[in-house]
Amino acid sequence: MTCDDARVLMHGHLDGELDLVDDLDVQRHIEECPRCASEYAALRAMRTRLKDDAFRFEAPPALKEKIRRAIPASTTTRANGYQSRRGAWVPRAVRFAAPMAIGAMLALIIAPRMFAPALNQQLASEVVASHVRSLMATHLMDVASTDQHTVKPWFNGKLDFSPPVTDFAKDGFPLVGGRLDYIEGRPVAALVYQHGKHVINVFMWPTAGTATSAERIETEHGYNVEQLTVAGMNCWMVSDLNQMELDNFANLIRTKG
Amino acid sequence: MDAAYNLARWLVRDEHDAQDVVQEAYLRALRFAGGFRGGDPRAWILAIVRNTAFTWLKRNRGPASPTEFDEEMHSAAGEESGLEADAVRRADGAMIRAALEELADDFREVIVMRDIEGLSYKEIADAADVPIGTVMSRLARARGKLARSLQERIGKDRITKEPA
Repeated sequence: MTCDDARVLMHGHLDGELDLVDDLDVQRHIEECPRCASEYAALRAMRTRLKDDAFRFEAPPALKEKIRRAIPASTTTRANGYQSRRGAWVPRAVRFAAPMAIGAMLALIIAPRMFAPALNQQLASEVVASHVRSLMATHLMDVASTDQHTVKPWFNGKLDFSPPVTDFAKDGFPLVGGRLDYIEGRPVAALVYQHGKHVINVFMWPTAGTATSAERIETEHGYNVEQLTVAGMNCWMVSDLNQMELDNFANLIRTKG
Repeated sequence: MDAAYNLARWLVRDEHDAQDVVQEAYLRALRFAGGFRGGDPRAWILAIVRNTAFTWLKRNRGPASPTEFDEEMHSAAGEESGLEADAVRRADGAMIRAALEELADDFREVIVMRDIEGLSYKEIADAADVPIGTVMSRLARARGKLARSLQERIGKDRITKEPA
């Protein structure tokens, strides 16, 4: 790793936002390079200083109160407006909807964490973030090989499972390598495939279910994410490929993987 | 609501203006509550606060500082000098506050969101409407600038206090 790379990546390291492999690489570089070590120490010191509550402004109680009062009021006004214009049957619906809207808003203000994203959404975000980081940090692969018999054994001893590795070069999706990654709090296998200039990251880890489940497609930050369970492996595919092509790829994994 | 106020306060750098911005942002949020399509509500409300603050700044204080240009100018020069943890530790609260207030808006906001407010890169990307890949590089520049600015301040401070 060069100092230029390290000087950006050390921020991700400081914030705990890197994947396992990059994280270890930066750590190693910092240990070996005195210049980057001193820079990192300065950044850590600065972050500690900034955590001080003195730099965090709290909303004045009067403002909080004003906003809490303003929200139901503005909704009520609108409800009354409808009543005068549209006869008597609308307000009943509005009367019903308004408290719900108010409730939703208050929940948003008082307990923003209540609307935690569902597990799948969170996982989807996590795999997309890993995909993006793998491309951004020029650390796409730990083992670069188009040979499935090189890639598969590489994972031995690094993971507590052996991921199925198949090269789909004949179908237009050549295997280009593999990497260790870290998803949902555990090390996982990341296989890298290519289709034209597009890179596909396939994240795999064992799951309790053994049946082949139907795939689900989602779009996150413009990336397509597809998930399926095959041969006891939870399989997440991320790429900037369009949905149809990613779907074709998923079919290969399901039928031949 | 503290997170919203804290961000607004750092962006507009004035207590009363920040209150106006937060109030306006919450009213906007209420009006556009239908625009909330799941995800992290904190990032959503902060995105509205941020937009409200920038609109407010443009309306009341003229065009924003040319961040992009500034970024290009400074990325080559000045970053060669190493950083020292010692200098950062010696900076007092007033120095840190002044140095942070002088940073360009784009840089100040990532530091406020990450280091003061503790948002994840994903949340920052959502709130500031930038690709997640930009968050780390922008943070790297912002923190580098802030640390260097603190070092310069410490240097000047030492010269005025202990004339050689």
